Amino acid sequence: MRCTHLPLCALSLLVCGAALAADPPAPSFQKDVRPLLEAKCVRCHGEKVKKADLDLGTLVGVLKGGESGPAVVAGKPDKSPLYEKVHKGEMPPAKKDALTAAEVETLRKWIADGAKMPAGSVGGGITQHDVIPIMLRHCTACHGRHKQEAGLDLRTPAAMLRGGKSGPAIVAGQPAESLVVQRVSAGAMPPPKRLVEACVKPVEKSELETLTKWIAAGAPVVDVQPDVATTTPDTLVTDKDRDFWAFRPPQPVKVPAVRDASRVRNPIDAFVLAKLEAKGLTFSPEADRVTLLRRAYFDLTGLPPEPAEVKAFLEDTSPNAYEKLIDRLLASPRYGERWARYWLDLAGYADSEGKREQDLPRPHAWRYRDYVIRSFNADKPYDRFLMEQLAGDELADYRGAKEITPELYDNLVATGFLRMTPDATWANITGFVPDRIEVMADQIDVLGSAVLGLTMKCARCHSHKFDPIPHRDYYRLVAVFKGALDEYDWLKPEIRPGIGPESVDVAPPRLLSFVTAAERKAWEAQKTAGGKAPEPKIQAMWDRGEPSPTYIYRRGDYLMPGALVGPGVPSVLTDGKTPFEIRPPWPGAKQTGRRLAFAKWVTRPDHPLTARVMVNRLWRHHFGTGIVPTLANFGRTGVPPTHPELLDWLAREFQDPTPQPPPPRGEGEKNPRDPITGKDAREATPTFTPLPSGKGAGGLGSSPWSLKRLHKLIMTSTTYRQSSAINPDAKKLDPANALYSRAPLVRLDAEALYDSLLFVAGKLDETRGGPADAVQVRKDGLVTPAGTAKGWRRLVYVQQTRKQPATHAETFDFPQMNPNCIERRDSTVAPQALHLMNNGMVEQLAGEFAKRVRRDAGGYPARQVEAVYVLALSRAPTAEEKKLGVEALERLADAWEKQLTGEGVRDAAERKALATYCHAVMNSAAFLYVD
Amino acid sequence: MSARFTRRDLFRSVPGGIAGAALASLLAAESRAEAPAPFTDLKPRKPHFPAKARAVVHLFQNGGPSQMDLFDPKPELDKHHGQSYADKLAGEIEFVQSAGAIMRSPFKFAKHGRCGASVSDAMPHLATVVDEIAFIRSMHTTSITHEPAVYMIQSGKITPGRPTVGAWVTYGLGSENQNLPAYVVLDDPKGLPVNGVENWQAGFLPPQFQGTRFRSTGSPVLNLKPDAERPAAVAQAERDLLSQLDLMHKRDRPDQPALDARIASYELAARMQLAATDALDISKEPQRVQEMYGIGRGPTDSYGRRCLIARRLIERGVRFVQLYINSHIWDTHNNIATELKAACDRTDQPTAALLRDLKQRGLLDSTLVIWGGEFGRLPIAQLPADKDERKAGRDHNKNAFCTWMAGGGVKPGLTYGATDELGLKAVEDRVSVRDWHATILHLLGMNHEQLFIEQHGLKEKLTGVEEAHVVKGVLA
Repeated sequence: MRCTHLPLCALSLLVCGAALAADPPAPSFQKDVRPLLEAKCVRCHGEKVKKADLDLGTLVGVLKGGESGPAVVAGKPDKSPLYEKVHKGEMPPAKKDALTAAEVETLRKWIADGAKMPAGSVGGGITQHDVIPIMLRHCTACHGRHKQEAGLDLRTPAAMLRGGKSGPAIVAGQPAESLVVQRVSAGAMPPPKRLVEACVKPVEKSELETLTKWIAAGAPVVDVQPDVATTTPDTLVTDKDRDFWAFRPPQPVKVPAVRDASRVRNPIDAFVLAKLEAKGLTFSPEADRVTLLRRAYFDLTGLPPEPAEVKAFLEDTSPNAYEKLIDRLLASPRYGERWARYWLDLAGYADSEGKREQDLPRPHAWRYRDYVIRSFNADKPYDRFLMEQLAGDELADYRGAKEITPELYDNLVATGFLRMTPDATWANITGFVPDRIEVMADQIDVLGSAVLGLTMKCARCHSHKFDPIPHRDYYRLVAVFKGALDEYDWLKPEIRPGIGPESVDVAPPRLLSFVTAAERKAWEAQKTAGGKAPEPKIQAMWDRGEPSPTYIYRRGDYLMPGALVGPGVPSVLTDGKTPFEIRPPWPGAKQTGRRLAFAKWVTRPDHPLTARVMVNRLWRHHFGTGIVPTLANFGRTGVPPTHPELLDWLAREFQDPTPQPPPPRGEGEKNPRDPITGKDAREATPTFTPLPSGKGAGGLGSSPWSLKRLHKLIMTSTTYRQSSAINPDAKKLDPANALYSRAPLVRLDAEALYDSLLFVAGKLDETRGGPADAVQVRKDGLVTPAGTAKGWRRLVYVQQTRKQPATHAETFDFPQMNPNCIERRDSTVAPQALHLMNNGMVEQLAGEFAKRVRRDAGGYPARQVEAVYVLALSRAPTAEEKKLGVEALERLADAWEKQLTGEGVRDAAERKALATYCHAVMNSAAFLYVD
Repeated sequence: MSARFTRRDLFRSVPGGIAGAALASLLAAESRAEAPAPFTDLKPRKPHFPAKARAVVHLFQNGGPSQMDLFDPKPELDKHHGQSYADKLAGEIEFVQSAGAIMRSPFKFAKHGRCGASVSDAMPHLATVVDEIAFIRSMHTTSITHEPAVYMIQSGKITPGRPTVGAWVTYGLGSENQNLPAYVVLDDPKGLPVNGVENWQAGFLPPQFQGTRFRSTGSPVLNLKPDAERPAAVAQAERDLLSQLDLMHKRDRPDQPALDARIASYELAARMQLAATDALDISKEPQRVQEMYGIGRGPTDSYGRRCLIARRLIERGVRFVQLYINSHIWDTHNNIATELKAACDRTDQPTAALLRDLKQRGLLDSTLVIWGGEFGRLPIAQLPADKDERKAGRDHNKNAFCTWMAGGGVKPGLTYGATDELGLKAVEDRVSVRDWHATILHLLGMNHEQLFIEQHGLKEKLTGVEEAHVVKGVLA
């Protein structure tokens, strides 16, 4: 113990000395301690306010302690927070409440003397809720929902009294006569030899004591309702807490007036320009058309344009050529492959379980990957997309359905969202309750970071230190998922004979043989024909209708269950008095409907975070930083938005789009007219310049929650269309581009680079979907995609295990999914240069690229250089570049020629020189960076 | 803690309430301002306070070396040999069905050196350098399963995703050599340890602090040499071409630091091809040095190479070198008499040679050498299916294991802490993994409370949120 308050410490030593001399009787709780607590503590730690879940107003409350564990450890003042906090002066917080040295000493002595309570009160606090968790931890694997060995169910006091074949498990008031006490104290139960098999730990002495005391007290059952939000105002989260910008729904905002309205194409520009003008800046000039074309291609599809597409775009002189381009790109199936990847990062997608050495494959995970790609391509409204992933099993009666339709299939596959985190609970030794809780914590973390933009995980062990998220709210959220994710009734990832011995818990694995009727039929047909393809399954999450009770785990420790809580959502995101309403998803449903209620809440139009978090993420991928730079933390420790009004405007526009206007107007038109008033749109306050109706090509309507519409809105803005060149004013006044005075210069990420190398080399196999492509692991650890007959598929389709990611991906900052990745970091390190310069696959692709160039340009160096530029960089070389290229080809051919022998040496050398030249271009900054 | 009233104190004493919201947001804003921008480069940095050790060689012994068969003699095991004990260990054993009786060590112990440290006859070479070593017999951890226990010892938590010790050390101190990676991993060509590449990950630290694997045979770095050989003149011509292309590209895009960084990374790659090749070329070492490490002889050749390369890297200013052996050779569930001996035969001589070599070159004073695995082993036998005691091994034990440290700032010739009479549990001067981490950082001049990075509003540290204490007893 350290002494931070010397005078106080000295004083208490003095008091101690005096005490030793006089040796007065130890303080009594009723007479000495209780009045003290009532005077100084219960204002905040009482029945009404109960901060940190601590009630010092009652005997039971003092014995129970708070969210961080017991307040008092009998006989050990140094280990008792009640004494420690008071002694160190940390509590009470207000100076006027400070305890006198004598009062502190009273506390110390009372605890040192064993923290004695009035007779009869000890044990009086023990209820069924102290005992049920013990049963869940040690007994219900064999005496519970799935199995009632010896006819015994130990989940509820009633069932304990009823007992099993050998009679009642408990006899109220008579611990010695109670079978459960007899068996446990004899060490017979749980059977020591079956502990690991059942993923159960032995009963601790203190647990047996609790059980004994409860029975001795007559096995009292108290009627405690789970703590849920009620109409009574919430005491733990105040209206002041709710007043933080991110916890208020997005506000209607007025589009600001700007000086140079000619640069405003849509309200985004007005918001951005207003800030620039305030700094004496304005937008950078518009990027040239080729630059814009490449930027749009990489942003939306992750691939460069084909030369023919470049040509067509440059020749299209219609005023809406650029809008049409965006529509085309959004309609391309490559769009989904590009944008699904960002979502897969958030979900923590991988084709393996992780955590254990074997890193077992997840052979069915790809179905979730394909679902995400499909959803992005279909422009599934974001609210629906979330609903399916959070509660797809509660959207429609999938079990009762006559036929598994593609829609039902998607509903269930979508729930794989919270099944993607690392998980080793398939093995007994790593499948104990705490291991399961870790998996659940990861899943809540994914939910919080991906969907809510909140650091929920802090509240797992204690109330959030910075955001108004009480410990309680975390466990309310846990309760929402309890129907599917239940640490006491666990669905294992998969029963794997020979690897993970089958558990005594007979719960099925979390794989469902649930695929569309068509796929099922096809599989059955091939099986009948002697085919050996494994049964198609999905990795899903589903409500089983009988969740175990949810207790707050004090300090996050499952051995310290606290208050019983019911399902609910973070109070600060609600008005604090509307109960969280849960209904069965349909009449007679077995499901609890908890997650459905949650999903409905998340997608409410007035939800403060859902839309903001998603538009911010989309913005990040188009501009390099988020309007809120901390993508997964909109709370108090996050970085506040640089453009709060813009964020809110986008969020509202995302959910509730401005109605579709009449036919499009061209960007080239000098004086855009307001479609409704017919006035010059540049006059007065800028209004929203309408989007062309995108029905058709891009499938863009004005449907709410449309991501494609949001892309188009962003990409047709002046803000997006700026050049990335830095002008001197911007360099001085907006060095970090926080005001968006230019477009960012962006390095291709792992996927875009890999896919582009294949694409330019003409070796991209565009077969979509299906099981992941294997990788080859070389002895030195180099991991390379195995490829297909036609070349290689896009990186999103390459097997991605947690322990052996493809070397290319790992080198270019492909993240480790532990459990997920919110934002990739772009590094610029030497191994990237080594990879592109020396790797065999890159070398091979350069050779393929050269062959392609040669087919187009024959053996003429100048034409070859032109073809290389057009194919790789979408433009013709400058005179300088052409000269450099031709000379380099000559020099390289000379160098190669010296190494070669035999006939046709010069021709062979020229071919090799071209391959080397292509290799250099594939390594060049011009290839890797998008302006 | 200083006498100054820190923000954290203030925070503790104000749990929200009346002025709560405003104050908390003020504090949050301040905590943001207070947090320094994270380091993103490998320039050398000053430690928090002066320290002897400037570099680390971490000899990671995956699998759980058996403490009572190597460094922690337990005569009581001989006395109680054959007595049943398994029931007392329920829940602490991975393989319950094969749990046997108390088992004595098949190895003989003797006291060695001036300090009289106990080492069994499984490690005759290490026994000759015990006067340089501080053994810690009282380590304990939290899991009996390899993966979580390895995450724990490498990164302070039983779950994946956190930065490893090497990443933290290079984050805190940068590097003395700009031509080589700051954190080099020498893994076994025969295979990766448990948890694979996660053993040297940077977690939430910037990615440049991740360990770089050097292979000890053939090409030391993935892609360090071209897969397809190019004539030197072609390679040179291509490099020239590329640098011209990049300079033209950059010329048209002034003030883009990313492009400078990219050109620098290509230059480092070129330098690394030379520097790494040189550092790894052990043929430059005299024959007798190679022999001292056991290079060229069956069991010791591979590990000997890595130990010698480790010394060459330390000489060149690499901050953190980490050595591995394939799989988990110390995981002696069966045949402990032969399996443990085999693990020692592969590593004992090279390890002792490394200590002696560093000492002779005056490098041991500034280099911290750490040796150890992820947990220890049980005093009872683990029996094979046929229950043949001659083939017995030992199962995992989280409550006691033994590690050692030597070199910079470590008290030499020390045996610290003690286990109970059977070696089941650390009982005296217990050292948690967190304490061990705090001690390593301390020996390098860093305070484990001050080495942190802000992550989602939390100050993330190697030692996490629970208390950690520097083990003062092992400091010189």
